[in-house]
Amino acid sequence: MATLTSTFTQHRRTLTRAAAIIVAVLLILWLVPILGGQRSYRLVQSLVTGLLVGGIYALIALGIVIINKASGVFNFAHGWLMLLGGLLFFSFFSTANVSPAAAVGLPLIAGALVFSTNGWRSLVTRRSLIGVGGMTLVGAALLLLPGNDWQFLRAIAGAVIGGVLVGMVVERFAIRPLIGQPLFAMVLMTLAASELLHGVTQLTWGSVEIPLQVFTGLPNLGIPAQIRFGEDLFERAVNIRADLLVAFLLALAAFAVFVAFFQFTSAGLSMRATAENQKLAQSVGLRVRTILAVAWAIATLLATVAGVLQGGASSLSLNMPFLALRAFPAVLLGGLESVGGALVGGIVIGLVQEMSNLLFPGTEAGTELAPYLVLMVVLVIRPDGLFGQKRIERI
Amino acid sequence: MRKLILLVVLLLVAVTPALAQEELPEFIQHSECAVDLTGQTVTIYHFGDISGSYAFITQPLLAGVADAMAYFNARGGICGATVAADNRDTGGDQAQTQAHYDYYSTLDPKPASILLYASGDAELLREQLAEDEILAMISAGSVAGLYGEDGMSNGWIYATNPLYADQIGSFCRYVGANAAQFPENPTLGYISWPGAFGEAAYTPETIAYCASQGVTILESPEYFLPSATDISGNVLNLVDAGANILYTNSLASGPFMIAKTVVDLGLEEDVVLAGVNWALDTSVGLLSRTALGSDGLPAVNGIIGSLPFRWWTERAEPGIALINEQAAANARSLSTQNIAYLLGWGAVDTYIELYIQTVSRVGSLEAATGAELRATLDAMQYAPLGLYNIDYSGGEIRALPDNRIATMMFLNATGDGPATSGDDAMKVDLPDGTVAYIPILVPLTGFEAAPDLRPGGADVP
Repeated sequence: MATLTSTFTQHRRTLTRAAAIIVAVLLILWLVPILGGQRSYRLVQSLVTGLLVGGIYALIALGIVIINKASGVFNFAHGWLMLLGGLLFFSFFSTANVSPAAAVGLPLIAGALVFSTNGWRSLVTRRSLIGVGGMTLVGAALLLLPGNDWQFLRAIAGAVIGGVLVGMVVERFAIRPLIGQPLFAMVLMTLAASELLHGVTQLTWGSVEIPLQVFTGLPNLGIPAQIRFGEDLFERAVNIRADLLVAFLLALAAFAVFVAFFQFTSAGLSMRATAENQKLAQSVGLRVRTILAVAWAIATLLATVAGVLQGGASSLSLNMPFLALRAFPAVLLGGLESVGGALVGGIVIGLVQEMSNLLFPGTEAGTELAPYLVLMVVLVIRPDGLFGQKRIERI
Repeated sequence: MRKLILLVVLLLVAVTPALAQEELPEFIQHSECAVDLTGQTVTIYHFGDISGSYAFITQPLLAGVADAMAYFNARGGICGATVAADNRDTGGDQAQTQAHYDYYSTLDPKPASILLYASGDAELLREQLAEDEILAMISAGSVAGLYGEDGMSNGWIYATNPLYADQIGSFCRYVGANAAQFPENPTLGYISWPGAFGEAAYTPETIAYCASQGVTILESPEYFLPSATDISGNVLNLVDAGANILYTNSLASGPFMIAKTVVDLGLEEDVVLAGVNWALDTSVGLLSRTALGSDGLPAVNGIIGSLPFRWWTERAEPGIALINEQAAANARSLSTQNIAYLLGWGAVDTYIELYIQTVSRVGSLEAATGAELRATLDAMQYAPLGLYNIDYSGGEIRALPDNRIATMMFLNATGDGPATSGDDAMKVDLPDGTVAYIPILVPLTGFEAAPDLRPGGADVP
């Protein structure tokens, strides 16, 4: 027995890899005949849909990863930030004449928070006051754009300003007081924030489902609502939903921006350093509080984008936050700290879900089982996710 | 002199409420009160999902209950007693349901009756309600919730509408009787949300009954989550398996997502949409304005389903006319004017009649226990506001006789019938520059008894 244990210990990595390969081969041998029995158009359709839906998961996952990269916190409030962002967008989209008080107040408060990320005292500098004033002027001018001709611009401005405001409020009043405390406390605080956001959204917008008509104008831009192809190749045309395609392309663009941000900017590097060790980062002169605030603002903006896209693809409802639960496997699969991993994770989960729906009809395997099964298998083999940082801790 | 003035004032104070109290319209025929309950309160204990996935249905229910209570309280309440509501939020979480039930059932005195809403809650509480002898009323519900696992044991939960299993049976019977309106070899694909409600109509009994009506129900149902972004895989699984009818036991965004996907995939000509009574709700029609079919009307146009009660547009019915008037007086939005709001009124009126009959028989409110209320209900025949009929006298605990089949269409521009295309439809301009289409329900049959499709039911082949 002892010999067996020591042999396993010595060759643990090799044995684990061998086991993984055997499982993969068996899986392929099992799936190939099932795949072979499928209609070709369904295979292509499932791949296309999985890829596009995966884009939405990836966008949600990216927001969670950003927070994690900056603070090491897994944000359970992300789903509610999505819904809140979508509802803010809807409010400015559907209100032709925004009240002047709201149009001035919203950017003013957001500006005050932006320019006081390192403490309220930093507000009383000339630079900050000019910044807040400028932000208020530009914001108010955009929010006061009248009528429906400018509704997109007004809604984008409202959602961006509102998103930044919400993100910074959560950071300032819920997360910041916990800097230096155990991470678990911050994680629990995000759970508390999610309950609070739940209440705020319901009190403000009620419980009715809201159709968000952001994609109905696509045909006017020459983009058909559905793009169909392959009628000649398959027995039925493969369908691409234009709304999901737009969401996917936006997700790709967001990833490109954030990969560059973390790789090539000092702010990105500061975030990574802060995530590694907040106290150490603070001791070398990094403004941890500012970094956290920026991270929360960015993550809330990403949540807002995801909320608007999902709201346009289905509707804005109290069900939306549960979509974030589907992005959790994507985050863990890609690796908690990896921006690229969020993209890969999102797409993998989207594809796995759709292919499972195809291969095992009527079993709920796609929605309830497969994403978590894949996650479990990956975590057993790579506990830090596909692209996560390997943590070595001194004990 | 002072004494005389004081006496007059006191008399006025005593008489004024009686003078101010309005009369109930003649069509509301409550039983005679044999006792006076003035000064007492009868509470409708209700728990449902007020803040979770089903909140957009529960909120209009609460609005209906609130408006109905205000209306009836201004007209004497229950033999003078005020009707009040105690609403508890489960958030769609059964742990919360259990917690609220534990709270209620340990009150002293414990409630004699409660109002339930979710099929899952009914299944969870069925045995406990029987043990605590608390009567519960629910709109529809699952076989397991009302009759237990064996499907044959009456519990303490009474449904005011046919069960979901009975409703799909009604639909299959309609297809069988009107085969020319449906594709050849009608094959039904069941697509819904997972959970007690979503899965309630897919049973061996409904499969067998539908087969007897010439409708094949596919072996593999498809389930999708309410938060799903895309359900084309689920729809195509059913269509590829031969489905030409898609039936759903979901509500709000559920039927909308199915209809949208059918349009997206270009399957409008190939499949007929159908569903439970909730699939014909106003919310479904309003949501659908973001997805138009090839005829320019919202994608859910033409969905067929059960309508086991009177609808908003049947204003010739005095109860419906009254509810329309009260909804307008209380400034209820179009989205609130849905099924749940109607059922809220129906529930309050039913409670009032139930309590009047019970307290008149037992002599006091304290003596109106769950068992006494149940005894009343077992023999009660009543039509709350004419919305639907309650008749449990034959030993049934659900309303079998009241179902009809209807279809959702959209109002035409002249407001006198259904639109035939988007060009012909009435469009209401919304503040965001988009338009809303007004959903209307057109009955395809009269009221008739739904098939009894619980295990061992009379109509199970």
